[in-house]
Amino acid sequence: MMRPRAGAASLALCLSAGAAWSAPITFNTALPVHEGGFVLREQLVFMKNADDPTPARRDMEVTGLVSVLGYGVSRDLALFGMLPYVDQRLDMRMGGQGITRSAAGFGDLTVLARYTAFESNAPGRTLRIAPFVGIKAPTGEDDARDRLGRLPQPVQPGTGSWDVLGGAVLTWQTLEFEIDGQLSYRANREARGFEAGDVMALDGSLQYRLWPRSLGAGVPAFLYGVIEANLVHAAKDRIDGHDDPNSGGTTLFITPGLQYVTRKWIVEAGVRIPVSQNLNGTALGNDYVATVGLRLNF
Amino acid sequence: MNMMKVARRMLLAFSLAAQTNGATAAPTAYQLQVDGLACPFCAYGLEKKLGAINGVASLATNVKDGTVTVTMRDGVALDEASARKAVEQAGFSLRSFDAMQSAPQAGGRQ
Repeated sequence: MMRPRAGAASLALCLSAGAAWSAPITFNTALPVHEGGFVLREQLVFMKNADDPTPARRDMEVTGLVSVLGYGVSRDLALFGMLPYVDQRLDMRMGGQGITRSAAGFGDLTVLARYTAFESNAPGRTLRIAPFVGIKAPTGEDDARDRLGRLPQPVQPGTGSWDVLGGAVLTWQTLEFEIDGQLSYRANREARGFEAGDVMALDGSLQYRLWPRSLGAGVPAFLYGVIEANLVHAAKDRIDGHDDPNSGGTTLFITPGLQYVTRKWIVEAGVRIPVSQNLNGTALGNDYVATVGLRLNF
Repeated sequence: MNMMKVARRMLLAFSLAAQTNGATAAPTAYQLQVDGLACPFCAYGLEKKLGAINGVASLATNVKDGTVTVTMRDGVALDEASARKAVEQAGFSLRSFDAMQSAPQAGGRQ
């Protein structure tokens, strides 16, 4: 069976655990959320997967609005909740005819706890390491149907399964630049006979201050140039207890982007481009993921 | 004439009293050196925590130097323990705490 590896689950995969409050665009950071404070992040994401090697000519598009709310429980512990709203559409050819399957709705809620385990501060710089654990609850619709019957799992807004994720993120921030690195693992579980493959990701991000070139007094806004790399490996999906040979694989993404950072808000944009895809069987490749986002401090 | 003399003496007395109080009152401003502060977005939480301390009139953060100048309302002192706690709660470290004798002219968050 040919499966598009797209949909809400893949969108969440692209955003990783860390669509949380982050300095990187595509994953998490170890920077603090002040005690009793909130950070709200809204990301508008458009993902296109149309690199289909089969005659079905599958073309999957996902538009998502991902809302993330972070709360500083203490100086070291922060909680994050992430809820996507997705509108996804799969076009393909079957029996000589073009068909479209689509669904829209809220996806699965992810709740994440991050704890700063190591911290070293100096004038104008900080080094932090923060492990995190989270759980994804099946809050999204996972039995959506159209006139052809139940939609394929990747088109469902929700997965139907309780999944767990964990990892650690490192941040080295100075006045001139910031480097973040993250290793994460998501263990997916079965629902309705389908189990998405576990996902492991290694992410890196460099944010370099482009403007102002020299700092003056006060709290000037920063314009960062961003370059990120994400190495993502997804295991094969399992259908009714059997591996799906046309699913899973390894992809290396590069994301160039820009961020404008002020005291109270950040706006950012980036395009995640797959530079290397080694996918199993006829798994549908990714074309790009475009992201624009806003973060608010309050 | 006597009334005028009394009035002048009262004015002088008020003036001297005000100068004397000014010399012995708590400093009106403090400079905090904060470690770990390296971006504008991080400054918000720090200012929010420091601004919540009772008696704080205004704050002026300088990201480049990692300093925050805290100006207090008249007659209110800032103790180092409160400043340290606020900085820690914001996720940073207090390197130094120095009292200044007058409020700075630089603008900051009110």
